[in-house]
Amino acid sequence: MIRVAFKILLHDTAKYLALVMGIAFATLLISQQSAIFHSVMESSTRDIIEANEADIWVMKPSVETVDQPDQMAELTVNRVRSTPGVEWAVPYYQAIAQLRTSDGRTKSVTLIGVDDSSLVAAPHKVLLGSLDDLRRPDAIILDAAGFAAIFPDVPPRTGDIVEIGQRRAEIVGISHTGPSWTGLPRVHTRRSLAVEYARETLNPVTYVLARAAPGRSPDEVAKEIAKATGLQAHSRAGFKAKSQEWVLNFSGVAENFGITILMGVVIGVAIVGQTFYMFSVENLRQFAALKAIGVSNRRILGMISTQALFVSCVGYCLGIGVASLFFALFSPQLTGGLRGMFMDPAIFIGTGIFIVLVTLLSCVISVRRVLTVDPAVVFRS
Amino acid sequence: MPGVVCEQVAIEFPTAAGPLKVLKGVDFQAPAGQMTMLVGPSGCGKTTLISIIAGLLRGATGSVSVFGREVTSLSGSELVPFRLTNIGFIFQQYNLLAGLNAAENAAVPLVASGTPWPTALQKAGALLDKLGLGNHISKLPRQLSGGQQQRVAIARALVHEPRLLLCDEPTAALDGKSGQAVMSLLRELAVHPERAAIVVTHDPRVYAFADRVAHMEDGLLLKVEEGKTAALAGAH
Repeated sequence: MIRVAFKILLHDTAKYLALVMGIAFATLLISQQSAIFHSVMESSTRDIIEANEADIWVMKPSVETVDQPDQMAELTVNRVRSTPGVEWAVPYYQAIAQLRTSDGRTKSVTLIGVDDSSLVAAPHKVLLGSLDDLRRPDAIILDAAGFAAIFPDVPPRTGDIVEIGQRRAEIVGISHTGPSWTGLPRVHTRRSLAVEYARETLNPVTYVLARAAPGRSPDEVAKEIAKATGLQAHSRAGFKAKSQEWVLNFSGVAENFGITILMGVVIGVAIVGQTFYMFSVENLRQFAALKAIGVSNRRILGMISTQALFVSCVGYCLGIGVASLFFALFSPQLTGGLRGMFMDPAIFIGTGIFIVLVTLLSCVISVRRVLTVDPAVVFRS
Repeated sequence: MPGVVCEQVAIEFPTAAGPLKVLKGVDFQAPAGQMTMLVGPSGCGKTTLISIIAGLLRGATGSVSVFGREVTSLSGSELVPFRLTNIGFIFQQYNLLAGLNAAENAAVPLVASGTPWPTALQKAGALLDKLGLGNHISKLPRQLSGGQQQRVAIARALVHEPRLLLCDEPTAALDGKSGQAVMSLLRELAVHPERAAIVVTHDPRVYAFADRVAHMEDGLLLKVEEGKTAALAGAH
């Protein structure tokens, strides 16, 4: 009877397409908005994501999110290094600074000072120049989107001389990083230079990045660091979660995206549910005829479930395909708001499960009408 | 051989004005090997009676036996396979599945009872050929005339060789000529020594095809005419 189910489904092309397009639209709306929300949340912890060599972040107890660091004495690094279970620890500095171009234009930038000797937390993808160039005097690496913002209409290049904190800086490399929460250009340099650019006098650090010794859990070691130093210490994942929680609580992003995603869900449920319900109800007489002939309710349930699963799969594939195409076209760009945005596999799977569940739910609702229809209705003209 | 035997069948439906007695104790028989017509004015209870015989309508009192099986005592889950195996239906509005072609529509009862599609289609095709639709087996219902659709419905009703054929106003939606042709084919193919055929109609032009004509009125069976008398009943 599965063949009969498919014939009933595919016979009315207009209704079939309406079902598929409704499901595809709902899939597109839900998956795309969820992916953008997820990407925005990821951007709020860009520094943690980029510095993936370290699995422990140590900071002052007052720090609530990665973008609002608090300064600590440089000696803190040694205290972390001396904690049992720590393989290595390096200083990390982060601040907002003013960059001035040779023609006098200024721009706020996120200044990231990485460890002078190991260059831990330096950008991984250097498009122009090389990471070793960062060891040169006054060397900075600027991200491609930041370069485009500072030097509009100029193709990415190295060699430009700028001022940061009234001190000379030479762009020796162009990096590619994902978007950050602040949207400011990201300038990577050695920490010793960064504190000078920020006009600091006490040679501070804002974070200590550390790695747990082999066989030790970063969470456990972080607890030991916190106990030994009186500082706040988290595993990389823990600090990422803490920072994202702060963004969710204080930025309003959760409400904004939540409403959009909820609208997607409601519209999706309405479109999918109503279209499938109408489809089943309009075929009520055909199902009644089958029941009169002697087709059991169980088989009719199987037929309708097959129809629901088939249209939800086709609609889902179409919708997720368009959403994927959207990200494939726009996210690899070096500049622009969608750079680095992506669709997490969990969103693929989650949206798929949701769409199938909604379709099956509407199938259950419409099936109630079909299963309770009086087969004697076929005797009425 | 007694095909269908109804004894004191009665049923009433609740209405705003109180219970409405639609059947008031009907004694009715449809022997195997004969075509029995159930005739009478609209609302007299004909369709209700065949719905009870088919097990589609429950809650009736009295006894309904179909080839020895007491239909009123069958549970809902027993009725489904009983109908699938033993009863063929022809409806006034054909009720063909719009997405299935003629052969597929005719094959539905076989497929529903587990026959593989190729075998079912072969059997349905052969029956459609007998019904003069050999050249139309791949056509969808909307591509067929009313008479042709009703012939597909006849094929669907007979393809699984049921012991009881129930036809509800099979000619009501057809013009006179098509109706006569359909009834002629129905008579030729449906009447079988081991099958009882019940045709509900109020079209006097088709009474001549009957072996027996049972007259109903106001929920009661008034009289049964048999043999040649039945053929003349059209004069009523």
